[in-house]
Amino acid sequence: MEALRIVIDVFIGISVFFAFAGVVGMLRMPDAFCRMQSSTNISTLGVLGVIIGGILHSLFILGDSAFAIKLGIMGIFYIVTSPIAGHAIAKGAYRHGVRPDKKMSVDKYGEDLVEDLPQETVPDAVEEEVSA
Amino acid sequence: MKKISFPAVLSTAVLMFLFWMVITGQIVSIFRGEASWQVLTAGGIVSILVGLFASRFFIHESAFYLWNPARFLPFLFYCFIIFPIELIKANVDVARRALSPKLPVNPGIVKIPTDLKSEYGQSMLANSITLTPGTITMDIAEEEGQTNMYIHWIDVATEEPVEAGNAIKGTLEKWIGRIWK
Repeated sequence: MEALRIVIDVFIGISVFFAFAGVVGMLRMPDAFCRMQSSTNISTLGVLGVIIGGILHSLFILGDSAFAIKLGIMGIFYIVTSPIAGHAIAKGAYRHGVRPDKKMSVDKYGEDLVEDLPQETVPDAVEEEVSA
Repeated sequence: MKKISFPAVLSTAVLMFLFWMVITGQIVSIFRGEASWQVLTAGGIVSILVGLFASRFFIHESAFYLWNPARFLPFLFYCFIIFPIELIKANVDVARRALSPKLPVNPGIVKIPTDLKSEYGQSMLANSITLTPGTITMDIAEEEGQTNMYIHWIDVATEEPVEAGNAIKGTLEKWIGRIWK
């Protein structure tokens, strides 16, 4: 039982470390997209470590397997939905005109986006920037 | 609007019923022999209704495509071995960058080709790439029969599409290609 306790604590410790690294990255990274990259640290190993630790704890120490299955389902939903949200935020931010202060070393999306954008959306975006 | 097909409704209903059993805790009670028939019947009716309405958003191709060991075993292997290894490597890399005093980042958006053809395969690859720290899929676009992905990469090593693709996708695309076309 003691050994299991240590394993659970190691999982939660890993998770805390990566959540810490993710927060430090969010504060230090230079622009919005890099901050999102760092926040993925929290949303992957930061969450998965806690969930695995929780599953082990509820299975072997509390003896509540229904709770462990629910935690597993939470983990699966989290893993399935969080990249979609990240993708939507990144794409939406870029299309709305968020750009890093320092120019990116290569920006293939911006080069191809100009032809790809529907023509009527371009003046709207400019007007919004002027009024803001 | 697509027609409602029976296999699509059935597979959606089975999945919904499994979720119902998990969330109500019946899946444990069944093994102990104390399952409540009222709860199971209610769940069955609701999952068939949900299957009727939701199957056309949920199933776009063959409904029992994964119901084949040659596809399901690689799927499990990918989910529990290949992808976690890539995930841990990328996590350690980004955590090291965030904590290092010099902050060694060189962000940029690269364009990489992908050979996957089906919707499911492309979305699985795009989501796997977004989920690994250091890379975010911005968009997927088709151009002259070749599907390209725009990836925001925290440390651009090369601008060459094929080389960048190999660096970002690693072994992921090969394994997804064994599951979906």
